[in-house]
Amino acid sequence: MGRQDPSSPRYVAISPDDGSTIDLRNPALAALLSWLVPGLGQLYQGRTTKGSLFMASLLTALVVGLWLGGGRVVYASWRPGETRLAFLGQAGIGAVAVPAVLQSMRLSGPARQPYFASPWFAPPLRPGQFVSAAYAERVLSREPGLEANAFAERPPFKQCAIDQLSVWHERLGRGFDIGTLYTVLAGMLNLLVVYDAWAGPLREASDAKGKTLDRADTAKDAGSGTPPAAKT
Amino acid sequence: MIDAILFAQLADRVPGVFFGLPLLALASLVFAATRHEDPAAIGLATVHWAVWLGGILGLVLATVLLFGLIS
Repeated sequence: MGRQDPSSPRYVAISPDDGSTIDLRNPALAALLSWLVPGLGQLYQGRTTKGSLFMASLLTALVVGLWLGGGRVVYASWRPGETRLAFLGQAGIGAVAVPAVLQSMRLSGPARQPYFASPWFAPPLRPGQFVSAAYAERVLSREPGLEANAFAERPPFKQCAIDQLSVWHERLGRGFDIGTLYTVLAGMLNLLVVYDAWAGPLREASDAKGKTLDRADTAKDAGSGTPPAAKT
Repeated sequence: MIDAILFAQLADRVPGVFFGLPLLALASLVFAATRHEDPAAIGLATVHWAVWLGGILGLVLATVLLFGLIS
């Protein structure tokens, strides 16, 4: 974690490039912001170059992955035998993780449909699953090739007769897997971005650089007259 | 001849490699940017990481292709 400046209540990190001080402001808030939107925490800290870099690169990967996967690759499912392990990686970006969890909970709940009856970030339907009539209509309109007999009438709900995940794989082909890979990698790399927002840049594992930085840190602390802060 | 066969196998898999190259660049960029603050240092480190990651993944791909040929 960044070092707390004893002269004022703020957290700072040391740049490994020139030894300058990086003001982390509120590291926890910065980490949360970066988790929600990649790079947003760095922008909050005033590190605009890095924040813009992270935001552009990771959001591009996320959007491309969603596009390749027809918008279907990010969803949360922990049903026995249908656990979506890829979501563990995708959860590294809160902007998609939170809607996915909410949609999954809503679909499994008494409403039997995701929020706004929208299929975005909703898990695939499985045979025998009950859904609302509105959501069934929305699925039929959004999935080309599905016929009306994909749902059986079970008032007040409708019962799904198809395996929607198989339909997605058949329709999207390799795009589903590649889209999953892109979104999983974007989420997992965002964990490094979150750490960067919380604690500053990682130190290189180099004896020469480590010794140099230690001397710079000691010199700054000695010059300011304050005792060296404990390193965490 | 083995080189030609390996390159032909690689060409067959170009689409897969095509989709993998942006991910390689992305990982290199994020690895580099989380270790530096200066943009120039980030750029150099990105190249450094891309060479390492690309080399390692390339070795793995070549090994897999070679074992596929042998078997």
